[in-house]
Amino acid sequence: MSADPHRLRLLLLQNAPLLLFLVLLGTFALLSERFLTPGNFVNIMAQAAHIAIIAIGMTFVLLVAGIDLSVGANMYASCIVVALYMKGMHPLAGFAVAGGLGLLFGAVNAFLVVVLRVPAFIATLATLFIGRAWALYLSGVKMVPFGKELLLLGRSSWLGVPVAIWIFLLVFAIAWTVLNQTTFGRQVYAVGADPEAAKKAGIAVPRVLFAVYCICGLCAGIGGLVSATQVAAAASTFGFQKEFPVIAAAVLGGTSLFGGRGGVVGTVFGAVLIQTVENGLVMTNADPYVYPLIISAIIFIAVLVDSQRTGMLERLERRKIRPEPG
Amino acid sequence: MSAVRIDARRGAQGVATVSWLRRLLLSEYLVLLLTIVFVLVMLPVAPELASLETWRDIIGAMMPLLIVATGQAFVLIVAGIDLSATSNLAISSVLAAAVMTLDGGPLAAAPAWLAIAAGILVFVAVGSGLGALNGACVTRLSMPPFIVTLTTMMFFSGLAIWITTLLTDDGSSIGNLPQGFAFLGQGRIAGLPFSLLIALAVCVVAHVVLSRTLFGRWLFAIGINPRAAEVSGVPVRRAVFFAYVICGLCAGMAAILYTARLETGTPVLGQRILLDVVGAAVIGGVSLFGGKGKVLWVVFGALFLTVVDKGLSLLGLSLASMFAIKGGAILAAAVIDAQRQRLLRA
Repeated sequence: MSADPHRLRLLLLQNAPLLLFLVLLGTFALLSERFLTPGNFVNIMAQAAHIAIIAIGMTFVLLVAGIDLSVGANMYASCIVVALYMKGMHPLAGFAVAGGLGLLFGAVNAFLVVVLRVPAFIATLATLFIGRAWALYLSGVKMVPFGKELLLLGRSSWLGVPVAIWIFLLVFAIAWTVLNQTTFGRQVYAVGADPEAAKKAGIAVPRVLFAVYCICGLCAGIGGLVSATQVAAAASTFGFQKEFPVIAAAVLGGTSLFGGRGGVVGTVFGAVLIQTVENGLVMTNADPYVYPLIISAIIFIAVLVDSQRTGMLERLERRKIRPEPG
Repeated sequence: MSAVRIDARRGAQGVATVSWLRRLLLSEYLVLLLTIVFVLVMLPVAPELASLETWRDIIGAMMPLLIVATGQAFVLIVAGIDLSATSNLAISSVLAAAVMTLDGGPLAAAPAWLAIAAGILVFVAVGSGLGALNGACVTRLSMPPFIVTLTTMMFFSGLAIWITTLLTDDGSSIGNLPQGFAFLGQGRIAGLPFSLLIALAVCVVAHVVLSRTLFGRWLFAIGINPRAAEVSGVPVRRAVFFAYVICGLCAGMAAILYTARLETGTPVLGQRILLDVVGAAVIGGVSLFGGKGKVLWVVFGALFLTVVDKGLSLLGLSLASMFAIKGGAILAAAVIDAQRQRLLRA
């Protein structure tokens, strides 16, 4: 009985991002006529594609209560190689190389976190700096243009939908299937919910942890190249602070920073929400210096909602457990 | 127990190496030793490293960093983290400079001492205010410390830049501060730099608080086991809250020194030292897992980072390679910390 008001508040908290989205849609639609049009929606989706792809990888890491702050540096480090050495080659080769390097970057993170047991946020904070420094060294701190074939790919579309969105849909479909239809997916949730219990149930916890960081790195490489097809050149700020919108997308979509809860569908929603905000700010001619303020405020709200929800769920669940004897 | 058994199997030679390595890993003075080794190795390539001038530079660069890192140690001891220290430097520098500046500042007509006093008040208030915000989010709203401080870092560094663009024409920095203010960063008393004296005072106070007061005991107890601390009657939330306030206060005080040294309030102040701040504490041996730390270790860590920084810049290395080397050093320190934890548990 007493749980009822809790349930109501929980329902509100669960749907807080959706409410936020509707409020933002309404506000921007009122402020700009061009905002609520089908063309702009496709635009938003295409711009959100790379964030969504990387955030899908991040979701895997967050599900095991880990974090990867190095995705932005990973994007830059993987894509600078494609920009520098892969000119004139087929875009597919570019994706293979960027994905492979991203995976390698992720494996380094995995090694530090799983084998050497360095706290995830400090390990990935360090690889953020090292990865970016390595990429800056390779590029000589210069702007490096991407090959023509990548840009052509970025401009082309199939069935009226830009290629970036198709790539995103492919990654999304694979990630959804892995997470929801395979044993590995179940293991990821189990490890995130309770690593001790997962270990007792016979799950190879270190192997699962290792794999999720690799997946996150792979997605960062692929997402980076998707972004590359749209921006023509890798400046020294390519991927700079991308970890913020990426983590925000996942958390806004209901993936918990405390592990075990969430999924890729929500993450995609979160990525679209963030891109909608940025698009709306551009459409309404907001002061560009205000963007980081608004984006970080939204992330803050998302994290706040997540922690309140986690606390409330714990309280709700505690009621069901019978009191321990003694 | 298991470690002992493994040692026995390895034989006498093995025991000797392992315990030697173990003692080195667990030694308080490991970092000081590494600093000396670094200086000795660098001397043939960069002989300037032996000059008094260089060491004056090193002291000048190290003192503000030491103050921020000392504040960071309080938060790390309760197993928290404050990544927003750099944005705290930026926002307090900008706001205090806006109050003090003679270019149309509110106190431009007032006597200089009043403007400086008001400025210092703003530094301290903004610094501890931001710390209190972080602390409230962590203790009252139970949000994870690193993500709270990551968002406050992003928000307040953005805010600092925005305020600067609103207040100035070129949007880069706020200059023309009162004459006497620069003394805080550059002046000397009896031949000793004033910044050294301030940092020394902060360190002594921090050391006494951590090792000689009840509050200090509470912090360590919370870091080792928050539940046990709570059960034993420690006001966990209040203590953690004040750890964050102290961390913010230290950042505000360091901002005074940085701003006085540059003689301008700028929003990019401290953007590059995010790694240094956490790094100085962690390299010195303050554990990221909480419950372990000493002000002396932070001094060693800050010294190590500043000396490495100076040595590398004497070699003429680019910013990118310095980032890589510093990132590597911090990573190495974090790995050693993780291994220490494992050793201690074994």
